[in-house]
Amino acid sequence: MKKVVYALVAAILLSAGAYIAYYQVESLNIARCLGCLAMEPKVEKFASFWVEYPDNYKQSGVPPHPQWIVDEAKEKVVMLFFWFEGCEACKRQWENMEKAEMVEGGEANGSFTNAFSYAKLITIDIVNSKDKDVLKIYHPKQIMEAPTTVILFEKNGTIYWYAFSGEANGKGGRPDINGLIDILEKAKEEKYGGV
Amino acid sequence: MVVCNLNCPSCPLAYICIPLAIGAAIAFKRYKGKLQKKRFVSQFGFLFISNTALIFGATGLIYTYFYCWESPFALMACPIGVIEHAFADRTWYLLPYLIGFIAFVSIIFGRAACGWACPIGFLQDVMKGRKVEKRKEIDKKLRMIKYLILIAIPVASYITRTLAYTDICPIGGLTATLPHLAIDPYGYTFTFFFYPKMINVVGFFILVAFITRGWCRHLCPVGAMMAQFNKVSVLQIKFYEERCIKCYRCAAVCPMQINMPYENKSGECIRCGKCIDACPKNALEFKFTWQ
Repeated sequence: MKKVVYALVAAILLSAGAYIAYYQVESLNIARCLGCLAMEPKVEKFASFWVEYPDNYKQSGVPPHPQWIVDEAKEKVVMLFFWFEGCEACKRQWENMEKAEMVEGGEANGSFTNAFSYAKLITIDIVNSKDKDVLKIYHPKQIMEAPTTVILFEKNGTIYWYAFSGEANGKGGRPDINGLIDILEKAKEEKYGGV
Repeated sequence: MVVCNLNCPSCPLAYICIPLAIGAAIAFKRYKGKLQKKRFVSQFGFLFISNTALIFGATGLIYTYFYCWESPFALMACPIGVIEHAFADRTWYLLPYLIGFIAFVSIIFGRAACGWACPIGFLQDVMKGRKVEKRKEIDKKLRMIKYLILIAIPVASYITRTLAYTDICPIGGLTATLPHLAIDPYGYTFTFFFYPKMINVVGFFILVAFITRGWCRHLCPVGAMMAQFNKVSVLQIKFYEERCIKCYRCAAVCPMQINMPYENKSGECIRCGKCIDACPKNALEFKFTWQ
């Protein structure tokens, strides 16, 4: 009888727990934490902004940029920062961006400092945000890998962009924080230059 | 989506699958006894199921054994990873689900998941490490390490707000980092924690080569979670004392070196059934009992 009661209690706990947490666990399972792997992917080093997908992407042609991102990119240079709680590499990159006085606030609702008034920062939690699937558009393997950083802007109706997964630490083709700032500056120059 | 079409010469992953298949064929011969053959099939089946995200996608189910959810094709979530996220991110609502999952499976099957499902247990069975005789008191103390690790994991995650154990986890190194490297050897750069992780993977292999089921006995925090349910689980190894001729073959074959047949309810028992296969008088058998 005791065992039946134990099993029932466990079954109730499991059902209630699944009702509350199943989708959160699923999202955590889908998200690939690069810090957890202790490895970060090599990426295509920044040379110039892309219009279409480069060769190392699964996809080809012009990315299906979401309309709300296109609208933002018309106004300013946009940087998308994909992250999630517990992702150490995301945390490190954020802290380094803070140290470089690029960003302020937390990852969840942070923004660029006044020095980057030409740009807009959009942080997307790849576990909890409704916009998390946007990451698949910009990831070479179409997977949920964090941290991933995307910089994009619109000029004459065309979206120019560059993306990399892994921490901005200067390794594997990725820019370090100063390199990231340079890319933002370059985006600014290209967006507003010659206007 | 990558789906096996049995066309190995043209498959980029054949260099992983073929050695695994050969290894499995060799390992099968090491499983002697009726129950053990079934256990091999079960372990192999769970290894396969654990890696079916390509078919089913990553789900919100939780492994009731140790397997990394960062593994390239991981179907379910790592129970230790869920604990770490709950404490690091303060997402306490993950805990009832995890506890319910582990408790429900363990109340029914005890620690059988370690013996019949866990891919890390499977690897240890295939490696068949040596049985090192240790003094009982020392062995008992060493077995406590896994409980200390289980306590330390949430504490470390809470304090550091990171997945502190994951950073150095040898099972993560073995089932996630190395497979990712095998699939794309030149595609990654390493972080600081890569090297401690790999040192721990080497440590894992040394441990299990010298002590049978050394990981399960001394270090596995998932085993520690399930061990407490062995005494009350529905699946038990029933001992018929009147049939016993005290040959102690059961104790001799036990990979966990439990004092069988008397400690048949021990939290250390992984319900592998080797003792049942070894008994010449059928004095031990698996029994589902609600009493």
